[in-house]
Amino acid sequence: MTLETKRYVIAALGGLFLVSLILVQWMETARKAEEAGLRPPHISVPAESRECVECHAEENPGIVVHWEGSTHAEKGVGCLECHAAALEEADSYLHHGEQIATIVSPRDCARCHDHEAEEFAQSHHAAAGNILASLDNFLAETVEGARMAFKPHSPTPGKAVDMVNGFASAFSGCQQCHGSKVALQSTDGGRITVDDLQPDADGVPTNLDAVARIVRSEEGRALLHAGTWPNTGIGRLNLDGSRGSCTACHSRHDFSPRRARQPENCGKCHLGPDHPQKEIYEESKHGVAFRDLKDDMNLDAGRWVLGVDYAAAPTCATCHMSGNIRNGGRVTHDPGERISWTNRPAVSLVMDTDINHDIVTETEPDLRRSLIHDSAEQKRDRMKEVCSHCHTDDYVNGFYRQYDDLIILYNEKFAKSGLAIMGALLSNGLRTPTQFDDEVEWTWFYLWHHEGRRARHGASMMAPDYTHWHGMYEVAERFYMELIPQTREIVQHAREGGRGNAARAVEQVVDEILARPEHVWFEEGAEAQAERIRQEMERRYGRGQEQ
Amino acid sequence: MSAVGRWLGDRLPVSGQQFRELTNEPVPYHLKRWWFALGGTPAYLFIVQIFTGILLAFYYEASPSAAYASVEAITRDVSFGWYIRSIHKWAATLMIVAVILHQIRVFFTGAYRKPREINWIVGMCLLFCTLMTGFTGYSLVYEQLSFWGATVGANITDTVPLIGGFLKRMMLAGDTYNQSTLSRFFILHAAVLPVTIVLLLAVHITIIRLQGVTEFRFRDEEGGTPRTFNFFPDHLYTEVIIGLVLMVLLSALATILPATLGPPADPLQTPEVIKPEWFFYVAFRWLKLFSGTAAVLSMGFIVFVMFAWPFIDGWIRKHTRFQEASVWVGIAGVLTIVGMTLWEALVRH
Repeated sequence: MTLETKRYVIAALGGLFLVSLILVQWMETARKAEEAGLRPPHISVPAESRECVECHAEENPGIVVHWEGSTHAEKGVGCLECHAAALEEADSYLHHGEQIATIVSPRDCARCHDHEAEEFAQSHHAAAGNILASLDNFLAETVEGARMAFKPHSPTPGKAVDMVNGFASAFSGCQQCHGSKVALQSTDGGRITVDDLQPDADGVPTNLDAVARIVRSEEGRALLHAGTWPNTGIGRLNLDGSRGSCTACHSRHDFSPRRARQPENCGKCHLGPDHPQKEIYEESKHGVAFRDLKDDMNLDAGRWVLGVDYAAAPTCATCHMSGNIRNGGRVTHDPGERISWTNRPAVSLVMDTDINHDIVTETEPDLRRSLIHDSAEQKRDRMKEVCSHCHTDDYVNGFYRQYDDLIILYNEKFAKSGLAIMGALLSNGLRTPTQFDDEVEWTWFYLWHHEGRRARHGASMMAPDYTHWHGMYEVAERFYMELIPQTREIVQHAREGGRGNAARAVEQVVDEILARPEHVWFEEGAEAQAERIRQEMERRYGRGQEQ
Repeated sequence: MSAVGRWLGDRLPVSGQQFRELTNEPVPYHLKRWWFALGGTPAYLFIVQIFTGILLAFYYEASPSAAYASVEAITRDVSFGWYIRSIHKWAATLMIVAVILHQIRVFFTGAYRKPREINWIVGMCLLFCTLMTGFTGYSLVYEQLSFWGATVGANITDTVPLIGGFLKRMMLAGDTYNQSTLSRFFILHAAVLPVTIVLLLAVHITIIRLQGVTEFRFRDEEGGTPRTFNFFPDHLYTEVIIGLVLMVLLSALATILPATLGPPADPLQTPEVIKPEWFFYVAFRWLKLFSGTAAVLSMGFIVFVMFAWPFIDGWIRKHTRFQEASVWVGIAGVLTIVGMTLWEALVRH
């Protein structure tokens, strides 16, 4: 090669290198613009999913549009990466040449997100389906509905109704949050669930008789039982043996982290009369700050670490799940990792948990200590790491003192007393073992399940109105004005009905409770205390009109 | 002479004439053939590595708790971080390829023979330093496979008789991977090994300059072909062209196949399949073929033969009639390396 030629080659290569640097600059600018939300991200449809996308863009364009806005789409994760299923799986079917399943379970998500799936599996969220054998379920399936289908008692104009589904309230209510036991239609008219399929460690059914009974469409699609699907309840009991539903929080098909970080996402289930965490949060200073400062929350950030990516306000995710600079940005999918009291049962329990993540109820101190795998204090310390981003140690410790005091007050004054009374009524045969067939059972349920939880949750998240007026005030009113009078009335009826011993036994429990210092005012009066309060008010504000 | 030239001439004891003589040494004519001009390629890529490595070190944190996150931040957050990291990764790959190709060329042309045996050994040292730099560099990413690759590497070291345990402890800063291991790898990768490479390169190039480049004559050359040509500008242009081709290639690889990031290291979860970087595939496959100490000892023997080959070859040529034995040994060696690398690449375990 002559020198002249070499010069031309050098010039050409130099130009080419310059072009490559310009290309890099363009890519960097485009990347930054995508991150800042100024430009839609580049989407690459994986070859295996191209046919799915093309067809569903016509059939269900919303699904495709949502997916196109997802991180999955950006990273080339298409339809089959999640929906692909093995031939042996109970609900799999051949769909345009691909073996797929409609329902994507945590086991499927774990193919990529194994760590998250493992944490979730250990959480109370994943166990939410346990309600299916609980008091709440009895309420939905028996009290509100019926554990059967029954014939309508009169016609419904405009609608041909031949049967009433007694499970409707459970299907559309409880199970949409707690999760259904997903079922396939059976040739004998029943349902085939995970209990029948008995899946192995890989989620493949071992009971082939049950598999043979699955009703399939002409195309071979296993037909899902309409009562149990659609369902994105967080503790869903899936056909492959896994528990839960990732889409409960990570809405399909965009799986938006931005949405999962916002309180509205949790508000699908954590609201209402029995656990109004969403409303409580909104009343608190945390919620007020979030509404005002939402634009500063950097909700689209990649990792969203408190103290790095944002510090304007905390959301539910911030305190219970997200990473922060104190814990090295570690996200958890087990919200229980930072909760030190469980306020779910009638009497709040300290969240010392054993190796299986179950609450330790042992009372003997040494034995209890030996069983604890993760103590409530450790959990509280994790939460304090979050708090300390905005509050001093004294402030945080002061708050926890107030919180502990409220829980213990509720437990000792009302919850344990109420439990003792309800226990005495049951053991002396003055109420039936069947729940909700006696007025006093409804009263007690309202007291702890609705009002008691509101008070405790209110205190846990700094919402004074929920702690007091929607909480402790109503607990007290329900206790003194309904539970005690109704119990005394039952005692009176028992005595009149010739069941003197039972009446005396229950009366003794009630009298003993009301004779305690914290209750004594109710029957013996508290004039001296009232007078002291009146004098203090007059000293502060002067003499007012008599109420 | 310009004013600047005079100013410099008064202060530097090197005249322009001397500088021209120094840089314009006659270059053997065979270097007009591209295949022979690749010796400078690893050095060129090494400079790229130093430049990009310094930029990466501005952001990298060498501790187990922060390493992965810092690499992730370089890749995702830092401006042009993905590009610099990808250039660094591909330049490392190309550097290893270039060193191996250069060595193959030297081997098959017999350029290691007397009086150049020492420079062959220096070159071998450069090869192993380059491989070690690649190994420590990949470990710094602290993703699952790089962590387990380093752990397996340390366990293999442990099987070396007598000094294996000591070497492993030196490597890991303890009996197992711990808080100090990454900083040790980082110091090796970013300081000790590069400085060693620079020193070895200086010795390598000095010896070349002292001995002169081996001259080759080819059968197809015309009778009047000159023995040498000028370094400047002719050979410099060749080197600039090679450098630019490399930069364009690196830039293309970095943008088309940017460096990826696997899941973070989890010391509690052993991956189902552990593989080192591709350039260790041949050693990995060898270790799988033989058991424990036998594998390590046999590999040590092969490495010894590689270092000592100029003397072994000299002995063979002097005492036997197999004057071209090195060619057949070389062909067998290259086929073995390529075959075992492909074998390891194509199987899961």
